[in-house]
Amino acid sequence: MKAFPTQEIGSLPKFGWRTKPFRQMALSDEDLDAARRWGDRLQIEGRDDFYRLLSKRYSFSDDEKKTIIDYSLLYAIGMCERAGDGDASPRGLDLVWSGEQARTEMYETPVTNIGGFEFVGRVRSFDNKYWRMASVKAPPRYEKNYHLDEFLFTKKHTKRKVKVPVTDAITIMAWSDNNYYTGKWAKKPGLAPARRSFGARREFTLELAKIIRRVISELISKGVEEVQIDIPAATQYQSEDDMKLVAESFNETTKGLSATFSVHSCFPPSTGYGILFPHILEMKKCERFSFEYGNRDSFSRGLDPESRVGFEDLKLFKEYGYKKQLGVGVIHIHTDTLPSAEVVRDRVLYSEKVTGLPRENLYVNPDCGLRTRRPEIAQKMLDLTVNGAELARRTPG
Amino acid sequence: MTQYGVTLTGLHARSEKTIQATQDWERGRIDQERLGKCFDEDVDSLVKLQHKVGVDFPTDGQLTLAWQDLFRPLSSGLSGLQPGPMVRWFNTNTFFFTPVVNGRISSDGKALSKAVERKFFDPHAGFKIVLPDPLTFAQLADDRHYGSKEKVLFAYSDALNTELRSLSSSGLKYVQFLAPSLVYRIKGKPLPRSTVEQLGEGVRAALKGVQARSGFYPCFGDASPYLPYLFDVIPTDDVGMDLTQTDNSGLEGTSKGIIAGIVDSRTTYLEDVAALASRIEDLAERTGAKTITLGPSADLRFVPRTSADEKLSLLGQVKNKLKGKGARPSKRSSKK
Repeated sequence: MKAFPTQEIGSLPKFGWRTKPFRQMALSDEDLDAARRWGDRLQIEGRDDFYRLLSKRYSFSDDEKKTIIDYSLLYAIGMCERAGDGDASPRGLDLVWSGEQARTEMYETPVTNIGGFEFVGRVRSFDNKYWRMASVKAPPRYEKNYHLDEFLFTKKHTKRKVKVPVTDAITIMAWSDNNYYTGKWAKKPGLAPARRSFGARREFTLELAKIIRRVISELISKGVEEVQIDIPAATQYQSEDDMKLVAESFNETTKGLSATFSVHSCFPPSTGYGILFPHILEMKKCERFSFEYGNRDSFSRGLDPESRVGFEDLKLFKEYGYKKQLGVGVIHIHTDTLPSAEVVRDRVLYSEKVTGLPRENLYVNPDCGLRTRRPEIAQKMLDLTVNGAELARRTPG
Repeated sequence: MTQYGVTLTGLHARSEKTIQATQDWERGRIDQERLGKCFDEDVDSLVKLQHKVGVDFPTDGQLTLAWQDLFRPLSSGLSGLQPGPMVRWFNTNTFFFTPVVNGRISSDGKALSKAVERKFFDPHAGFKIVLPDPLTFAQLADDRHYGSKEKVLFAYSDALNTELRSLSSSGLKYVQFLAPSLVYRIKGKPLPRSTVEQLGEGVRAALKGVQARSGFYPCFGDASPYLPYLFDVIPTDDVGMDLTQTDNSGLEGTSKGIIAGIVDSRTTYLEDVAALASRIEDLAERTGAKTITLGPSADLRFVPRTSADEKLSLLGQVKNKLKGKGARPSKRSSKK
């Protein structure tokens, strides 16, 4: 087994040539230039045909739009496979994905394809970042498998191990407007207000988990070996009951399924990931927890607690006797300010030091998906992930 | 008889037009002037809606770029503070930049003045502002200077006092402290009374000499462990409860006004007006409160603007239904 394997977390930025045709906007010279520059750099197969297609600039047919999406998947795979500056051996991430290029984004895609939802408008997440909120107006129902095509395409175009990120039920519940179940539970008499709202959350979540289980089951039947259950909202509702529900939802989602499962979460409250313990350890089929840590860390080199202040929460895993794998987020993804490869190395080595896990159990990754960065920055973040892990490997354990 | 009012308890939702404008502005498609015009229209329509539903102390919704989060004008405008790492805002899918305390916190009295859109308010009627309470600030700040949350709490309170004095001379008529940290207890027990009393002292320091009515509103959690003494310890004119989380049966008589967070700000589900009115009548009867101000359970920025406005209008409907109803001030009323 390789020491400090590397992975991405899910999304990669979309190029202008990927998004504009779907907004009825004409491609600019810059868009065409970016397609060429990156296509050549990533050695995209069939790229000359693609450049010719893009030179049309506007009025793309549905088939042409499908081709554009396919190429965006190839570009994303290329970014993962070629990450690193060449010193890393071998170059590229060990676990790859196609950057969620075929998805609108991690929330909109499932709620668009699961029945019972209706979009009600945008809500601000932070600063000028928003998400399109869907409201559940009826019990959710399976309509189609919304990840199958992108998986089959990705599998066909990479020789690396593929990890499919799938948004979990807790996150869909937490980011949606729980209109239907709030109304249903409002009619139940004799409940304290907090019990009423938790009951509405739990029922909604477990209904969703059944649908997501079916989606994953079908993916496994088509060859998926590894699934990352994305739970960015794991730490959103923070009562003891809600923490238990995070584990219950994961177990319900993976019940009866056979694959390698990992869990990703990020951006906990100021109290950190401690609120998830010990309940997340009840996720019996989870082989790896991939959490964000770089966001809260310093940019100083060093293996001391002060320099590595963002990684203190990792001690929780040791305290609870955790022996499986961890994915350690070593790059803060909401800034263009980058750490040096040496700082990334130190973050990796400090993670080893505080968890006591063997090197092959410690995966290295950016904190979260990179969709909010420009492609140049996202690529640098992937490069740093690979280069920092390689520097850590060269440091004797 | 109990008098009923309506208020906004936190930041409001931006309109779809403003949302699009902020994104266009970030991508260089529109300039600052066009963005500012969008915000102006947005604030104007919200102020008009508040007048329509009978809000006594209107806010500007605190929906401009200055209020990217509840701390931002302070973490960017007070000396000794700066915005730091991004952290989840309680149990929501929204985030704030942690105020990092890296020096003595002090104010020149201008940080909040720059952030309030005063031109939309009648100068006589004035405006309301919602601010983080001293405990929430102290709990969430990353202190690299004072070495004690208590010191941070009072340093913040003192700086806030300078800001509020400055604002009260330019139209501030109501300041409300939003206090999630008091009631949002993840695993721990409720805070001891001594901590709540300390918070009360902080609030007192922040309000010293400020010529405006004041309120204290804990959201995102159950305030019942602090009832009824919260009403005695916090030195504001009004004290509130998030009634989507709180069993308020422990509150009996009070001479203070009550802010009743009765409408769920976390869902577009529109509650039954009669059922809400009935709960408020019960509260009025039991407490004998002179004023009950109806509000959303927290900021209405957690739902899209259309729904946020519907929720505000719903509060107006509940108020209308309650008109002429309610208890006479109770003999059991506690001292202020």
